[in-house]
Amino acid sequence: MSKQYLQTHTVPQAHPTDIFSLAVTPTQLISASGSSSIKVHSTGAGTTIHNDSAEEENPFPEAQVLEKAHPLGCHHVCAASEGGVLASVGFEGDVKLWAAGEDASWAEKGCIKGEKAGEHWALAMSSEGKFLVATTHDGRVNVYDTTQINGEVKAAQTITQFETKGSFGTCVDVSPNGEMTASGHQNGSVYIFNNSTGKMAHSLSGLVKPVRAVAFSPANKYLAAAGDAQVIAIYDTTSGEQVTTLTGHASWIMSLSWNFSGEYLLSGSYDGKAKIWSFERRECVATQTESEKCLWAVKWLHKAANARNEMFVTAGASKSLSFYREASGT
Amino acid sequence: MAQELAEASTVFDEKSDASDPETPYTRIEPSIRSLVARPPGGNAIDTAIQGTVISKIESIFEAMVDVLLKERGQLFLVLTSRPGLQIPQGIVIDTASPSRHAQHICFPGRDENEAWRLAVVTRILELIHEAVRNNITISKRDIYYRDPALFGRQSNVDKYVDTIACTFGVPRSALQVTAAAKGLVAGALSFCRRNGDVVDVSGDIEGILVPNMNDILSINVTRVEWILVIEKEATFRSIAASNAWKTLSTHGVMITAKGYPDIATRSMLSLLSNPSPRNGFRSPPVHGMMDFDPDGIAIYSTYKHGSKCTAHEPDELQLPQMKWLGLSCDHMLRNADSCAEQGLLTLSLRDRKKAQKMLEWKALANEDDLQTSLRSMLMLNLKGELQILDAVPDGMSNLLRCGLPKREVPWV
Repeated sequence: MSKQYLQTHTVPQAHPTDIFSLAVTPTQLISASGSSSIKVHSTGAGTTIHNDSAEEENPFPEAQVLEKAHPLGCHHVCAASEGGVLASVGFEGDVKLWAAGEDASWAEKGCIKGEKAGEHWALAMSSEGKFLVATTHDGRVNVYDTTQINGEVKAAQTITQFETKGSFGTCVDVSPNGEMTASGHQNGSVYIFNNSTGKMAHSLSGLVKPVRAVAFSPANKYLAAAGDAQVIAIYDTTSGEQVTTLTGHASWIMSLSWNFSGEYLLSGSYDGKAKIWSFERRECVATQTESEKCLWAVKWLHKAANARNEMFVTAGASKSLSFYREASGT
Repeated sequence: MAQELAEASTVFDEKSDASDPETPYTRIEPSIRSLVARPPGGNAIDTAIQGTVISKIESIFEAMVDVLLKERGQLFLVLTSRPGLQIPQGIVIDTASPSRHAQHICFPGRDENEAWRLAVVTRILELIHEAVRNNITISKRDIYYRDPALFGRQSNVDKYVDTIACTFGVPRSALQVTAAAKGLVAGALSFCRRNGDVVDVSGDIEGILVPNMNDILSINVTRVEWILVIEKEATFRSIAASNAWKTLSTHGVMITAKGYPDIATRSMLSLLSNPSPRNGFRSPPVHGMMDFDPDGIAIYSTYKHGSKCTAHEPDELQLPQMKWLGLSCDHMLRNADSCAEQGLLTLSLRDRKKAQKMLEWKALANEDDLQTSLRSMLMLNLKGELQILDAVPDGMSNLLRCGLPKREVPWV
């Protein structure tokens, strides 16, 4: 049985260049692109969710623009899923930390200068926002305490540093309970680390080709990993066993996101296709093709309390933000 | 003392007081031996050597300024050359290291001849410094034409360039100087030389070396509908040998400078594509075909805007109408399966640094597509070489057919 998703809204030309990364908080969607500004869109309005009209006037208004955040563009952005803390990293190499004020607007809190080239690539944050992890060009995974990063920091102290075999760290995620960190690498390696012991828990094989996305399931039990192998491998985080492989993409998989119940996995690929997979049935239940342009990032939004259906958003080389939700009555 | 010098690979020494010949030479430059001893190949090392070349040249100039400011004292440039290489007069045989010949040039010069030799060396060093700084390649011919009155003969330039390279202990290429024009050109054009000879390039399917512009009176491009600029000689040769070229060569021109373009090749392109009485006021479109990597984009930018440091200045050799034909991210994706094994490469740390630096280049400030390409490379951590197209059947000819202007079929 397939599901149907409707494109409910599009923000065309949300950025003047490719959108590379998305982050969500309970009330906001944050988008980062090759241009210097990071944009914040409000998703918490909730009033339009029941409205089936796709012509609703901008249900995702721009809440804030973080002007000139990264002069050469911003390639990764991540937020604490509970909100309050945001981190971004730009092509110039700097990591910026942003804190939400009482009026929910973001202000720069601290910056780790990227003096060593290739020191910061992919980012992830623990759900409450205390820990920030960043991959490096030579395969290390650095863990920082966000409370210690205030003002401009030249050489930020890492709490922990996970070492791997030196292959470029393309992607990273922190488990929702904060106990594990997973990293994906250029050479196809995927590792799970135990955050409390600082040791590697599992070295997961199977993808061989560059890994471009890793994502923990909401209940911490599974890790999804995907990339140029065009398949999604799902591992049990306790045993390290590969549980299943989801096949169907015909191009490199660039991005993964679990919905908040863990029932559905969303993937975006280089050829512009977004797929929704039922984890229970281990199959693709919907495919959305918006354009043939690369989807650099796909993300489920937080479900508003009064909303009937969950929504997700896709972004990439089209420079637009496209919002989808499940069609009613299927 | 001489032995000491040789061991330290010292190339330049300052005599603190000319009246005291026993005063030890003060070594100004640290030894570059460690650098030379590193394994060859690898661009990071090239960059390091170029950095050394720049700092060596600058320290020589600084020392000269010091001598001038002090108004006394002398300075000796010690130039060495390999045996067998003929050096202009004034050789001092360094008995301690018989494998090398050393030549001392005193500053200020002691006679007219020495002053001239010093001027020649200084001028060449200045041009090399400029070339290395701006990352452009110049030929020995280029150097000669920058100041023919001073150099007198081409052979003087040739000798001193090689001597400087030997003295610095680096290959000549590290000075960004090539032996002669390095460009190749092929296709439907002919030149008229100043002496009246007509050179028909289309007669030579393999292409000819780019001639010296000063020898060219005019150029016949009436049949040329487009110009294709190619990064690499290998691709140039591969296209020249292809079946597609048999058709394309009747109305197109292909040119390569084998990497970063030299002035001769850029002058030729400018003459071909900028309307002037010398080319019959034609302006055929120019398309670039480069690797999908930071150097490919930098090379393209050098053709189009000049070297990055001079890009903001007017440059008669610029080609603002030039367009990027390939490779693009899409070419790589389309061939992702077939080229995954060959041609698709991971960016090195040097590539990543270079791409990052290039995002700041003024020359690329208005080149949105190139910036997008640079960011895509960084995001994907991948680069692709033109050879990818060889992995796909008809890959190159398809790209040329789709990318080049459609032929206007003459009305019959």
